[in-house]
Amino acid sequence: MGSKVKLFFPFSLVMLVGLVLPVVVMIIAGFQGMDGGFTFSNYTTIFSQNYYRMAIFNSLWISLIAGIIGLVISILGAWAITQLAERTQNILIILFNLAASFAGIPLAFSLIIVFGNAGIAKALAHTLHIGFLGGFSIYSLQGLILAYTFFEVPLGILFLYAPMKEIKKEWFEAALVLGANRSFFIKTIILPILLPNIIETFIILFANAMGTYETMYALTGNNFISIPIVIGSLIDGSLNANVPLACALATIFAAVMAMLVLVGNRIINRKRK
Amino acid sequence: MKVQRVNKWRPQLVITLIAIFLLAPIVATFFYSISTVWVKTILPNGLTFKWYGVLTADPNFIPSVIRSLLLAIAVVIVTMVAFLPVIFYANVYNPKLKEKLRYLSILPYSIPGIVLVTGLVQLYGNVAVPKIIILILTISAICLPAFYQSLNNAFMGDDFRGMFEQAQLLGDSKVGAFIRVVLPNIRAGLMVGLLLTFAAAFTEYVITNIFLTGQYQTLKIYMYRLMNTNGNAASVLTIIFFLFLGVIALILIKLVSNQKRAKKE
Repeated sequence: MGSKVKLFFPFSLVMLVGLVLPVVVMIIAGFQGMDGGFTFSNYTTIFSQNYYRMAIFNSLWISLIAGIIGLVISILGAWAITQLAERTQNILIILFNLAASFAGIPLAFSLIIVFGNAGIAKALAHTLHIGFLGGFSIYSLQGLILAYTFFEVPLGILFLYAPMKEIKKEWFEAALVLGANRSFFIKTIILPILLPNIIETFIILFANAMGTYETMYALTGNNFISIPIVIGSLIDGSLNANVPLACALATIFAAVMAMLVLVGNRIINRKRK
Repeated sequence: MKVQRVNKWRPQLVITLIAIFLLAPIVATFFYSISTVWVKTILPNGLTFKWYGVLTADPNFIPSVIRSLLLAIAVVIVTMVAFLPVIFYANVYNPKLKEKLRYLSILPYSIPGIVLVTGLVQLYGNVAVPKIIILILTISAICLPAFYQSLNNAFMGDDFRGMFEQAQLLGDSKVGAFIRVVLPNIRAGLMVGLLLTFAAAFTEYVITNIFLTGQYQTLKIYMYRLMNTNGNAASVLTIIFFLFLGVIALILIKLVSNQKRAKKE
């Protein structure tokens, strides 16, 4: 065997068997019926039935809101970190790394302990007669958005921290000397520099929320209708399993996400130039 | 400098609020794990460590940790053998390939676990293949972007091509030169990449659970089941899991700061 072959064989094997072939087969299978024949029916089902349209709508909506909330808080958070002492900054970055990786089942369970039907928040609301807290359900759309912020905020901070650290205090001082005030400085200098990073971070937060299955499943089982949950219920081997339909839905998902990320990259590259 | 100190209360307030928000559920979970009973009351009825005993005495606990460990170790080995040489080659010999590998960073967001597992079920669902092997390869593949990015920095700066070729001139084989000359110089970056890969494989849930239909009970699958059967023991497990992630985060930060210091020198 040539050394090039030796070099690339294990790499290609892992990527083909573990990733490329399953994705290619998934795309093809989206155009097959349960019997294996060619059909568009999976796609017409998805776009014509309310259930699937609702899944798409819910996913887009929850990801948009969670992405915006996550972005706003993480802009504030990343800015605040850069203002603190170097040592504190390093500790905070550990903390946010940790918070971001806590997502999924452990996060969902912690939130159930606080906001669940037998949780602390309900007890507080009952004793202190706080109506909105008593009515708040962690298993609802609002509850899911709250849950998502627990990993969207740290993720956003981790992405925005490095570019914000690049902004030098001297620039602000120089602008002040030249007669600019604070808001003018932020609008004309800081914002254009950070905008590509802000767009990039928003796209990542949005895509991350779109693909979130574990947290949502651990909180609501198969009860909340979203793209990941519907896909999960179609492939879990139960009675109403329909793998080709799941393949079509997953293909739509992957195509939309890939397009979004690519378009985002293009905008960002143009802005950077 | 002194003038700026005065204004620090605002960033401090923002960070404190965010930190309290993020940590509150974990603190609550900790108190839940040491409570005798804590249902529909503001404060727990009493404190106890008995749930820690209950969890460790559960015969399913240790085996599920071991299963997750085995899975993570297998993924780390595959990553080392299959990806490391190619990343070295792309960085040192083939910038065009490196340019292509850059697109990997899009991967985890356009193909999340739930999408990839759909393809796995479709392709391998009804075929007699050892699914655990496929699972190991798939998790390795999705860990590649993070592994690749942590190694990229390690290859910057030094003349790896010169080192690698000189070692071969001195009679080392390619593999020997790689192990003796290249590896020691990328140690920190490699450790970061392997640790991230290990953590991702150890905590993977969606693909493992759906593709192997819950039959290979890893720690996360065990955690989900426990959460629905014994909430107190599950809270103990959540705290242990949090500490485990904390240790990994600490080691990562230590490695990265060492790496930065080494690059500066």
